[in-house]
Amino acid sequence: MGFFLVLKAEIVRGLIIMRRYWFASLTGIFIGYGMLLMLIQALVYGSGQIEDMAEQAVDGGLGFIIGIFAFGIVGLFTQGLQGMARTGELEQVCMSPHGLVTNFMARSLVAAVSSIFSLSIIIALIAWSVEGTLYFAPLPTIVLLALTYLNLIGFGFMVGGLVLIFKQTGQIAMIIRLAMIGLAFPAQESLEGWPISLRVIVHALPVTNASICLKKVLIDGAGWAVLENYAFYFLILSCLVWTTLGIACFRYMENWSRDKGTLGAY
Amino acid sequence: MSTDLVQLDRADKLFHTRHFFSVDPKTGKRHFYQKRPIHAVREMEFGVRAGEIFGLLGPNGAGKTTTVKMICGLVRPSGGHVYVDGLHVEKKRLQVLRRVGVVLEGTRTCIWPLTPRENLAYFGNLKDVRGKVLRQRTDYLLDFIGLSEKRDVQVRQLSQGQKQKLAICIALIADPPVIVLDEPTTGLDVQSSRAIKDKVVEMTREQGKCAVVTTHDMNVAQELCDRIGIVKDGELITCEPTEKLLDIFSEQVYELRLDRHPDTRLLEAVPGVVSTELEDADDGPTCLVKLDPDPELRSQAIYGTVQTLQQQQLLLRSIQQRQQNLESVFLQLTNGHSRPGATE
Repeated sequence: MGFFLVLKAEIVRGLIIMRRYWFASLTGIFIGYGMLLMLIQALVYGSGQIEDMAEQAVDGGLGFIIGIFAFGIVGLFTQGLQGMARTGELEQVCMSPHGLVTNFMARSLVAAVSSIFSLSIIIALIAWSVEGTLYFAPLPTIVLLALTYLNLIGFGFMVGGLVLIFKQTGQIAMIIRLAMIGLAFPAQESLEGWPISLRVIVHALPVTNASICLKKVLIDGAGWAVLENYAFYFLILSCLVWTTLGIACFRYMENWSRDKGTLGAY
Repeated sequence: MSTDLVQLDRADKLFHTRHFFSVDPKTGKRHFYQKRPIHAVREMEFGVRAGEIFGLLGPNGAGKTTTVKMICGLVRPSGGHVYVDGLHVEKKRLQVLRRVGVVLEGTRTCIWPLTPRENLAYFGNLKDVRGKVLRQRTDYLLDFIGLSEKRDVQVRQLSQGQKQKLAICIALIADPPVIVLDEPTTGLDVQSSRAIKDKVVEMTREQGKCAVVTTHDMNVAQELCDRIGIVKDGELITCEPTEKLLDIFSEQVYELRLDRHPDTRLLEAVPGVVSTELEDADDGPTCLVKLDPDPELRSQAIYGTVQTLQQQQLLLRSIQQRQQNLESVFLQLTNGHSRPGATE
């Protein structure tokens, strides 16, 4: 019940801010589109290959968008948390009777939905611009996005918990977030050719499996056939592991932070 | 069970700071790694009743904020217990949070892109207030604090005083019995400061809430608080009703206006006289006589002083107690000059 109350508060706040700053939101989408288009031009069209250019462009674009999504959601728990601590908002949230975990879950869900909305527009524009194809299978996409979100908030909770105690881990988190963009961009089944140790690390990161599965559905048009892919089961497994580990770590760090007297402070 | 809305029972907080490649300030030895303890709060004990405003005063780093954060559940005590409305803050933390409204220093509570009404709706939902109750409470609070006309103006456009008023409304949205105000009038002009003080008094007296106020402003504490606790080095060195605290110190110093200078050695020989001091003015000298705080000894000292002046054939033009303000009391206590015997 508490979750839904906080969710409602966050949705209302998000809508008000979006309505009040609609121009900034709109220009943000177009700036994102323009920059991604330039990146694709440089990395895909600039490579000199001729075969499957459009397909590669959409693949790269989608990978980058998933990476940006991961970057944003995990950032909510790191830089976002630090920003809230600086403005004092975190102290108020810490004193909400629903608890910090519930608050952050609701907050991140609203941020995720809003990001998905704007990032979908960008990727659709990219596909249209390069004359590529995107397959839209609503249900498998929603399931995969939900799993991706859970995966990311699990990871975010773990990093956020660390940030509550060790303030300087925010910088390390930034490197991890950038690494997730780097991984999501080229992520596909070709990872199978990588050395086993590297594959384990890459698959353990929350965005790799999600990226592979989403590309299968949206670019290859696999639909529910994504269930036949090993990455889907890795995604569920990492989802369970990250969420359990992340929330447990966050709760532990929250209590430790109260012990140290640094909860809500930066 | 105590009837206090806020109760600290020997609450203690010990922090540890970690240092690499440091020099120990006590021994002067170099250490690769050292963990140093800081006793922020030492066995703090006080209670605050419904309808009471309790002031927590102390110099910077005395432990006021840590104490307040222990009441709000933001800091876990190392020892002792903290109760809010009879609930143990550590064991029933989430329930306690429904019973405490907190106004933090400055205007950090509010979300600036939203209006006061939207802020109250947002924080109301966070605090489990919703629907018709939330709307009624929002209207009531904005009216109570005098922000009705600004209800639909973005917070960023409000003045400092209006933001602080909104912060108080946010703290009160769930109608908590306990309100914690951290430096509520810092940076405000005289009018805003007065308005906020009046509203704090009104809400505690009329609505039966209790308020815990931390402040550096002695005038605020003197005007606002029914009882004052003075904290030094994490220790509550006194906890008395404001008037009594002022009385304890004001009774000690008497101003004797005389026609000429007295022999102060004779005066200091009177039992119960602690010290004397002479001040010259246009209409004659004034002798400041500091007396022992013990009431029995003090009356003997007054009698003995007057007798001694008569023996010296001095004309006593007037005698009066020197009025103390909270600032001088605070300075005397925190500088370790004297302490009232009893702490609650």
